[in-house]
Amino acid sequence: MIELPSGILIRALIGGLLAGSLCSLLGVFAVRLKMASIGFCMSHAAFAGAALGTLLALDPLATAMVFSLATAALLGPVADKARLPANVIAGIMFPITMALAFIFISLMPGPVVGLAALSLLWGSVLTVSPSDIAFLAILMALTTSFLALFWKEVQAVLFDPRMAEADGINSRAYMNAMLFLLGAVVALSLKLVGGLLVYALIMNSASTALQLSYDMKKVFFLSPAVGMTSFLAGFALSTALDWPIGSSIVVASSLLLAFAIVFSPKRRRG
Amino acid sequence: MAIRLEDVSTTYEGEKRPAIRDINLKVRSGELIAVIGPNGAGKTTLLETINGLLRSEGLVEVLGLDVRKYGREVRRRTGYVPQDFMVPSDTPFLAKDIVMMGRVGRIGLLKPPSKRDWEVVMAVMEQLGIADLADRPVGKLSGGQQQKVMIARALAKEPELLLLDEPFSSLDARSRETVCRLIADLRDDRSVTALVVTHDLSAMPEECDRAVLLNGGRITADGEPEEVFRSEAFLRAYGHIKVVRP
Repeated sequence: MIELPSGILIRALIGGLLAGSLCSLLGVFAVRLKMASIGFCMSHAAFAGAALGTLLALDPLATAMVFSLATAALLGPVADKARLPANVIAGIMFPITMALAFIFISLMPGPVVGLAALSLLWGSVLTVSPSDIAFLAILMALTTSFLALFWKEVQAVLFDPRMAEADGINSRAYMNAMLFLLGAVVALSLKLVGGLLVYALIMNSASTALQLSYDMKKVFFLSPAVGMTSFLAGFALSTALDWPIGSSIVVASSLLLAFAIVFSPKRRRG
Repeated sequence: MAIRLEDVSTTYEGEKRPAIRDINLKVRSGELIAVIGPNGAGKTTLLETINGLLRSEGLVEVLGLDVRKYGREVRRRTGYVPQDFMVPSDTPFLAKDIVMMGRVGRIGLLKPPSKRDWEVVMAVMEQLGIADLADRPVGKLSGGQQQKVMIARALAKEPELLLLDEPFSSLDARSRETVCRLIADLRDDRSVTALVVTHDLSAMPEECDRAVLLNGGRITADGEPEEVFRSEAFLRAYGHIKVVRP
C-alpha cells in the first residue's frame, strides 16, 4: 500500500464526501422523476466537453461543465417540444454526446492527449484540488438552499408534476432547476469518480434510501447518508485492496442497495 | 360571476376535431353544478379548460381572471380533483403531506407551512374521516381512501372554486354523502362555486342547483336538474333511463 500525504488524503475525503452526498441528494430527483438515463447522458456530455477542451488546449473540466450544463438546459425544452419524456430525450442525446467525444478525440494530434479526456471517464479522487472542493461546496450550498426554500413545491412536483401544475405550481421551472443541478453535480464529480461511475452514485443511493422509507423528507436525509457511507466504504476498500477508487465506490454502493432491497422494512408484514 | 365561457373550443394536440366546442356557460358564485354526460362527452376537457390546464379558443374567464393570462393564479384558488387518480403502492409520501400540497399556492413562495396550515389540513382530514390515516403512506391506502385524500387536498386549499372530476367513483354511499354535504356547506357558508362531473346519474349530489349536460363536446341542456332530465337532449344522450337520485 502506498503512503499518501495527509493533505491529499484530507482533500480526497472532503471532496469524496461532498460529491457522494450531492450525487445522492440529487439522485432522488432522477429516480423519482424516472430520469434514469439522465445520469449517463450528462456524464458522457461532460466527457465530450472534456475532449473538446483537451483538443482546443482549454481546461477540460471547464468545458466538461459547459457541455453537461448545456445538456441539462436543453433536455427540458427539447422534451417539451418533442412531447416525449425527458428520460427518452436523454437516451437519444447519449449516443450523440459519445459520437462527439470520439470525433474530438480522433482530431487530437496524439494518443497521449486523448488519454487526458479519457481519464475523466474513470476519474481519480486523489487529484482533487482545493478549487474542486470549493465548487462542490458552492453546489452543495445551492442545492440545500433550493431544497430548503422550495421544499413544499419540490415535494409537490416530485409527487406528481401535473397535479402540482393543477395547484398553480410552475412544475416545468422546478423540473428544469432539478435538471440543471443534476448537470452541475455530474460535471463536478467527474474528476473524482469518473463519468462511467458517477451514474451509480446518483442512482444507487437514492434507490437505497427509497427502499428504507415512505416519507420523502426522510428519503432526502437518508440518501446523502447512504452516498457518504458508499464513498467511505469504497475508499476503505480501495486502499485496503488496491482497487480503483471509482470501482470500489460502485461496489460499495451496489452492496448497500442489495442489503436495502433484501432487508427493506417496506417488505415486512405486520 | 365565477365562470364565464364564451364560444370556447378545446382541441387536443394532433387532433382535428375539438373535444369540446362552442361552449357558452355562465356560473354565478356559490352555484353547485353537476356536469353530466355519457363517456367521451367532454366533461374532463371542460374542467381542464376552466382551470387552464388545457389551452383553448374563445373567452375563458374564471374568478374574474382571463385563464390564458392568469392560469396559475386561477389554479392556486381552485381545488381540483382529477378522475381516477391512484398512486403505486411504494409511493414515498404520507397522506398528510399530499393534503398539504393543496395549500402550497395559498401559503406562497419561500414560506413553510404554518401551524394554522397544519390545523386546516388536519381539520379537513377529520371532516372526511381520514385523520387517522395522516401518517400512513398514501400508496398503501385503498382506492376510496386515496380518493378522499385527493378531495382533502382540494378542500385544504380553502378554494373559491371546486372542480371535481368523478369524485365519488371509489366512494361508498356514506362517504359520498359526507363529501356532498361538505361541498354544500362550503357553498352555503362561503359561496364556494363547485362543478361536479359525474357519468353516474345516481351519484349526482341532490344539493345541486343546476345540471349541465354535455354530449358530443357540446352543451345540449342546461338548467335545473329535473328540467334537464326531462329534456329531449337528455333522452338523446342517455336514452329512456329513469334517474333515481339519492
